[in-house]
Amino acid sequence: MKDFGYAAPKNVGEAISLLTELGGHGKVIAGGQSMLVIMKQNMLAPEFLVDIKGISELDYIKYDKKKGLNIGALTTHRTIERSPVIKETYPVLSEMEDNLAVVQTRNWGTIGGNLCHGDPAGDPTVVFIVLNARLKIRGTAGEREIDIEDFYKDYLEVDLNPGELLVEIQVPPPPPHTGSAHNKLMVMKGDMGIVGAAATITVNPADGTCTGARIALSNVASTPWRSRAAENVLIGKVITGELLAEAGRAASAELEPPADVHGSSAYRKEMAELFVRRTAETALKRAQAQG
Amino acid sequence: MGKEHTEEYSIIGKPIPRVEARLKVTGQAKYAADIEVANMLWGYVKRSPHAHARILNIDTSKAEKLPGVKAIITGKDFNGFTWGWSQPTRDEEPLATKKVRYLYEGVAAVAAIDEDIAQEACDLIEVEYEPLPGVFTPFEAMKEGAPLVHENRPGNITVEYHWNFGDVEKAFAESYLVREDTFQTPRMAKGYIEPPATVAYWPESDRLVFQGAKGSPYFPYRILSRCFKLPLSNVRIITPFIGCDFGGTKNDMTNGDFSTVMLAKKAGRPVKIVASQFDTLTTDLRRHPMWITMKVGVAKDGKITAIHNKIVSDGGAYTRMSPLTHFLTGICMGMPYHLPNFKHDVTCYFTNNPSSAAMRGHGIYHTTFARECLLDMIADELGIDRVEIRHRNIIKNPEPGTIYETINNVHIATAGTEECLTKVAEAVKWEEGKKKERIKGNKAYGMGFATGTYLSGTQLSAHNACAAIVRVCEDGSVNYLTGATDVGMGSDTVGCAIVAEVLGIDLKDVDIKRVDTAFTPADPGSYGSRVTVLAGEAAINAAEDAKKQLREFAAKKLGAMEEEIVFKNKQVFVQSNHARSVPWERLVRMACYDAPGRVIIGRGHSKRATDLHTLADFSTGKGDIGTNYSFTAQAAEVEVDLETGVVRCTDNSVIAHDCGFPLNTQAVETQVIGGSYHQGVSAALYEEFKMDKGLTLNANFVDYKRPRAYEAPMTEVLHVITNDPFGPFGAKEASEGSTCSAPPAIINAIHDATGVWIKDLPAQPEKVYWALKEKREKEQKKEKKK
Repeated sequence: MKDFGYAAPKNVGEAISLLTELGGHGKVIAGGQSMLVIMKQNMLAPEFLVDIKGISELDYIKYDKKKGLNIGALTTHRTIERSPVIKETYPVLSEMEDNLAVVQTRNWGTIGGNLCHGDPAGDPTVVFIVLNARLKIRGTAGEREIDIEDFYKDYLEVDLNPGELLVEIQVPPPPPHTGSAHNKLMVMKGDMGIVGAAATITVNPADGTCTGARIALSNVASTPWRSRAAENVLIGKVITGELLAEAGRAASAELEPPADVHGSSAYRKEMAELFVRRTAETALKRAQAQG
Repeated sequence: MGKEHTEEYSIIGKPIPRVEARLKVTGQAKYAADIEVANMLWGYVKRSPHAHARILNIDTSKAEKLPGVKAIITGKDFNGFTWGWSQPTRDEEPLATKKVRYLYEGVAAVAAIDEDIAQEACDLIEVEYEPLPGVFTPFEAMKEGAPLVHENRPGNITVEYHWNFGDVEKAFAESYLVREDTFQTPRMAKGYIEPPATVAYWPESDRLVFQGAKGSPYFPYRILSRCFKLPLSNVRIITPFIGCDFGGTKNDMTNGDFSTVMLAKKAGRPVKIVASQFDTLTTDLRRHPMWITMKVGVAKDGKITAIHNKIVSDGGAYTRMSPLTHFLTGICMGMPYHLPNFKHDVTCYFTNNPSSAAMRGHGIYHTTFARECLLDMIADELGIDRVEIRHRNIIKNPEPGTIYETINNVHIATAGTEECLTKVAEAVKWEEGKKKERIKGNKAYGMGFATGTYLSGTQLSAHNACAAIVRVCEDGSVNYLTGATDVGMGSDTVGCAIVAEVLGIDLKDVDIKRVDTAFTPADPGSYGSRVTVLAGEAAINAAEDAKKQLREFAAKKLGAMEEEIVFKNKQVFVQSNHARSVPWERLVRMACYDAPGRVIIGRGHSKRATDLHTLADFSTGKGDIGTNYSFTAQAAEVEVDLETGVVRCTDNSVIAHDCGFPLNTQAVETQVIGGSYHQGVSAALYEEFKMDKGLTLNANFVDYKRPRAYEAPMTEVLHVITNDPFGPFGAKEASEGSTCSAPPAIINAIHDATGVWIKDLPAQPEKVYWALKEKREKEQKKEKKK
């Protein structure tokens, strides 16, 4: 690993002014669970590391029935996984975290670090997309909020300007009769999914029709992928097994997934179809279970 | 028989806690990377960015100017020295001088005051290359006019063997069924967590000390003596604790090993090099990838009439141990099944990939995989049960005192395969299980069987030396000196247990001295499952020699015949009258003080490695490579996700293991579970280095998969005791044979579950998925035709 400068600001203000001062030469490190791996492989050699892990004001989980969930960007995966309020109100987040890497990584890695790494294979992003989450970003010019879907620009590239920090993830309360699920193709528990999928389904209990659907896939494109094609297959209809399969096919049809040592593009395409079907089915069951 | 046998002993044959366990778990055990020496520098190796290129010039001038740099070397500092596995195969330089033959081969090295500076200096070394076209598979290497990896090796052939026993063609012609198929085994990492690391220093200008993670410390002892023109007496190799090996790199030398020694010489200060995980996974020795075409003939009853192997193998850039690997692919084909006709054609090719070498189940692993899968294919075709076809072919355990000789003159005194197979089939209730429905929802379940064998006490011709020294200290404690090494398998414990057992003392009374070539006897180290069998025999003989000296003294003191003196439970007494006794400590003290200058030192060596039958002949494929042979049978269940192709092994798995007599039941079980079942699961389902023109694409343990606790199912180990007459206390090797049986058992189980054959390891999800899809589509077409 190459030598680098290092500072650990104590609060968000300090971090932002330091990053602004450094211009494009500062690189933010939070838990470092993704970044240190690529630094060790000499794929990334930052001149200066701004370590924000110690900024305690960004480590929180707040829940309000009307406003929903607010997660500080420096909350660890493990805290989210084990949070009683998340288990009760957004169980899909705990479900996702349980399969995110290993306990050691979850103990140290932060949710904001994960989102800002911009890896299209990341698990949290697709779950937050189907939960309709927004991101709060702070910079010298103040705060802005964006839809998480718009945060991802390209492979490992997110919508953050120099001097800006992601500070919070906001998840609205789910509508009634809504179920969410996340699942991914793992060879081993905790693997980065060869393909991952998340789904949220809302049903009308009166007639059983699907009134809302959000479906997103990981590791199938250069950014996290929301499949409106799959959603459109389901919305407005009573979901059957055949319809779920059709949604899977619709999602798969629009993809040209990348290939790597874990799977070819063709395999990923087939698995996208399967995992959309599987997760949508689980989400539907959960929605229906709400009676 | 086994039980009575156990009761004769005080220590061995029971679960014995490891002698070094406390040191390891409390962090006191020092590994090579932990060693710090005063005034020490850090070294770093400059590596080639080309897989095949001529080196035109190396300019170190910029690096020399970097503050903190203390020495820089290139291959030229070694004055044309070459080394190899044997005299005729000395084809490798410590650092490449004229040509690099694989990606990241070392070309220079730097010693500096810290590792970062050494690394930075390496970046400043400018090497001018002329890139050359390379060969990256044996099939490219064998082509007419292919680029040569070594200019003096036409055809890129590393080694080849062509053996012929009986009349294979005639046997095939007369067979009821002949089946041929090609199987593929991939290149695999050894997967040690401890990196290769070395500290070297020159206390005086003609004396070398080398402390490294070496499972075969007497290899660097001889190689460095020759390289630096030192008498062996002046080469001191000291072996710290070793954190795993699994064959290969820690037997052999690396660019880093030579570099530390030369840098230390040049800088006049100690130098340390620790390989990074990236270096380890891109340049260390791997398991040979092989393409095994096997043809098996059988009679109507499933009895094997003949086997013909045609094997193509990728040896990588240098010969290394390939002559032994490929010999081993064939030498044990005559067991555990009776084989009347046998032909073996194997060719290993040089390529511009990192070199291949020994890995657990060395050589035998590949052909066992092919044979065990083919047996299932044949069983299905003939309508014979898969366990039954094995029973029909198994070599029965020879009557005590008799020897079974294979068609290629391998001699077997004990073979527990039949009992192993019976036990595993019963344990998994195969008779009921085979009738069970295989498919439940989108999952399929299947059971597979395989057997395995492995040599123990490898006979390495010139390197066979194996001795022990047992020094009895005046307070009754004992130093046990051996040239053998424990790379994690527990042989230190077994050696100490043997010494304690023979002397009738406690395990804690025996202290093992790890290898220091200044004091310990020469030995090939951990190589070919030889330590327990050969070093164990040497330990018995050394302890007996010490006991003889003490017995003479005890007989005099107790007024009895020497033959009557018994050593047990730290008492020395007369057999006919236990009251006539003296405590061990007292006897030792008296013996040591009896005459001025007297010391009790027992010496012993292993004779069996050279005394037995016929030494193996590599050119004809005849003779005994082992002192004796272990046998295994395994049953493994898998769960296949029919929609994704993901395969999981379940806990419903049993390995029955004939290691003759388990000297330490706990060590045998943990080795069989962790060191062969889990390693076998890993080989069957997960592990493969993916390559692109010499570049390793998954050189990290995220992308190169190995099972962790989540994925590692537990298996049951059943001991089958055969008490081999040629092993110490009846012992044979443990767990290399069972490394070989796991992959075919699992692949056979996948076939049992789904009907698809995965003939190229590993059965990664995508491969299984397409095979399932192809099968489904074929069936649908058939349905339509109907």
